[in-house]
Amino acid sequence: MDWIALYPTWYDPAMGSGYWIALIATIHVVFSHASVGAAIFFAWLINKAYREDRPELLTFVKRYGLFLLIFSYVMGSITGPGIWYSTTVGSPKGISALIHSFVWKWATEWVFFVIEVVGVYMLIYLVGKVDKRTHTLVAFIFAGASYATMMLILGILSFMMWPGSPEWFAKGGTFYSFFGPNTFAQLLIRTGFAMAITAVVGSIVASAFKDAELKREVLRKLAAFGLLGSVIMFVFYFWYLHTIPENAVEVFRNRMPGWFYPAVVTSYGLMVIYFLTTLFNTRILNPVLASIMLVVVTFMGLFPTEITRESMRKPYVAGQYVYSNQIIARDVPGMDIHAELPKVAEKGILKVHPFLPENYRTITDENRLEVGRQIAIIMCSNCHQVTRTEGIRPLTDYLGGVTDVARIKRYLQGTVVAGNIMYMPRIPLKPAELDALAAYLADLNAHAH
Amino acid sequence: MEAMDINSIHDMLYALRDPAGLPFYPWAFFGVGILTWAMHFFAVALVLGGIAVALWGLHRNTPYWQRLAYAMANVSKIAVSAAIVLGVAPLLAVQVYYDPMWYTSNVLSAYWVIGFILILIVAYSAHYVFYFRNKENPQRARAIWSIIVAGAGYVLAGFIMHSLSYQTLSPEQWLNWYAPGGHIDNSGTRLHDFNLWRFGYWLALSVPITGAYMMAYATYWSTRRDQDHAWLDFVYQLGARWALWGSVMAAALLVAYFASLPEKLSAYRSSIWALLWLAATLLPGVIALRARNRAFRCGYRPVLGATLGMLLVAIGREMVRYYAIIPYYDFMDYKVNLDWFTTGVFGFTFLVLGASTLGYLLTVAWKAGKTEGVYQASDTMHLWGRFNLVLIIFWTLGYFGLMAIRTF
Repeated sequence: MDWIALYPTWYDPAMGSGYWIALIATIHVVFSHASVGAAIFFAWLINKAYREDRPELLTFVKRYGLFLLIFSYVMGSITGPGIWYSTTVGSPKGISALIHSFVWKWATEWVFFVIEVVGVYMLIYLVGKVDKRTHTLVAFIFAGASYATMMLILGILSFMMWPGSPEWFAKGGTFYSFFGPNTFAQLLIRTGFAMAITAVVGSIVASAFKDAELKREVLRKLAAFGLLGSVIMFVFYFWYLHTIPENAVEVFRNRMPGWFYPAVVTSYGLMVIYFLTTLFNTRILNPVLASIMLVVVTFMGLFPTEITRESMRKPYVAGQYVYSNQIIARDVPGMDIHAELPKVAEKGILKVHPFLPENYRTITDENRLEVGRQIAIIMCSNCHQVTRTEGIRPLTDYLGGVTDVARIKRYLQGTVVAGNIMYMPRIPLKPAELDALAAYLADLNAHAH
Repeated sequence: MEAMDINSIHDMLYALRDPAGLPFYPWAFFGVGILTWAMHFFAVALVLGGIAVALWGLHRNTPYWQRLAYAMANVSKIAVSAAIVLGVAPLLAVQVYYDPMWYTSNVLSAYWVIGFILILIVAYSAHYVFYFRNKENPQRARAIWSIIVAGAGYVLAGFIMHSLSYQTLSPEQWLNWYAPGGHIDNSGTRLHDFNLWRFGYWLALSVPITGAYMMAYATYWSTRRDQDHAWLDFVYQLGARWALWGSVMAAALLVAYFASLPEKLSAYRSSIWALLWLAATLLPGVIALRARNRAFRCGYRPVLGATLGMLLVAIGREMVRYYAIIPYYDFMDYKVNLDWFTTGVFGFTFLVLGASTLGYLLTVAWKAGKTEGVYQASDTMHLWGRFNLVLIIFWTLGYFGLMAIRTF
């Protein structure tokens, strides 16, 4: 058999698997960063509370901690594996590549995650039940473990974009794939974001305090923490841009929806204004206003950023060797990985895909449209709507309503079949397969117009 | 449409394996998968069993039952956290050595996979609603609907996981499920296979585990003078009954499950693994039977028995998959790309940093719970705490050191 590693394809015409992944990832990013930032803030605050004998500060820790338990450890801990699940069904080869290279890194993160979860329960429920030194030690262990989870996951996230160093292709191994400038820059940006989002989430809790003096003090501390985080994000953003590959910069500058960049800049600006205002006047703040700020940061700032991050690595989804359509596009000698693309080009996708019934492997007049539709789903649906003319980047948008099969074939041949578009996978179809795909797209256009 | 032949399945499964291979030998991941799945399911059993006790207690509505209901609703809430965090590890392991099976099964039922996440969020949120509405342990419980929603959500989420796992056992059916009648269905809207005996067994297993836990719970608090000992005795005896009869009920369902196994698994039915699984199911019940008349002196034994039993159950469960898959696929011959660096980092973090730090945290929690008033840790405990902190700082400095070397 000449099969390559391709799984069945899940096709969701409503949202597209990519948006499912981005949606769950966005929720997780908010919650997980809020937990990392809060862990650091708690350690500092608990230490201060005991050193200065200020038990009222522990009231905030307990209340925010309980809020955090629901906010981060209900939603965050479910959406964490949720990202695995959504990528499993949306991009099984992509997640598989990450899992197999970084299984021990993830397992290491898991150890810290267990410490973190045990730590957060103890931090909250043992206020006033253990001596000060013990409680402080638990707080610092919790903070260290929480930050370690971020340090670990960042190396894996960066690999999705770009292996830590190019030596990895030749030498293999996590020493080369994990560490590198992209990981470092991203870690620092996310450290800043964790601080900022902690300040926003914390202000929801603190702004509800009845004790005006405590409210003022905690809110001002949070605002300062958030501002520091915002500055860190701003500074390291520019370094980050220098660490990403050329094709990513190209997508970032030219291929994202027009509203993304202004939305991100606006939400960042509003967040800084929010912190500055809080720093000087805490009386105007209430839980509703703070919650609105959180929604703004999540949907105007984070969601476009996550979509952009998903898109920037195209045509790859992992390590610059797995295409978004799940085909391995290049050799990685250091890992003894061989490209599948030459086999696809030689035999045709219909002959090498393990999950096709026999009646799809040979194109006839009767099955041409159905096989063409299936080729579109296999090759394109990770990023495109392929069965309707509306939705996420519909294929028909690129064809201008053309219903002439020969013209569509020429277009496909000059672009994706030849591999002439930097951010698109090369799709080396056999003539009959190209014919079927073009016939299907022409039919789709014909029914749309 | 005909099922695939054995050679085609073999070729397909081997083609689907990830070419990056594994950074260490497959048996290690297999062992980690079994061990952590046992821990995960122990927590899951407490979630389901805790909610069952809570619902029954609210229904009985006597002071002792009411009090137990609130206590177990809270235990099950924390157990959800534990189940999630412990569930990450076996989920990681199965993707490593059974990746062709796991990914295919998930993609074939993709909407259910996404639904699993959403259902869990709703269920866990409802659980917290019950907690907050009843934080003061009112005489008449509020928002009972929320604990019912939580319980129903967990059961549904459990059924989805059961089905996804069960689908991995039948690679010969995958193409039929994906392309029924030769027409591909990319929708992912169907769960294709399940076994109600097996699922019923998992639900029933939560009864003896929760029973054993209640015995340990009562034993733990029995050393504190400020606790109501008559109530603790009630909890202990109830736990013993749950452990005993729950084991019997679960064992009966397990036998029914074995009887329902398809022909291709008949060899499993007569294997040592099936016997081991059955014995492990009965273990907490047998120990509880001996411990129930000895009051709190032997109160931890049933939960230790349940823990050991769970590990053996996990082995028995994994061997079913092994028997189902071995005609086509052997995980032991997975390609290995040895990576000592990442293996070493994990080994240190797990065996030294993790064991020591978790040991410290759990010791503090144990001692604090045992103490009336404020727990004053000894100098040795403080030293242990600082040692853990030093380990974490050392680990972090190592990380940033390597990052700096590889970056600049």
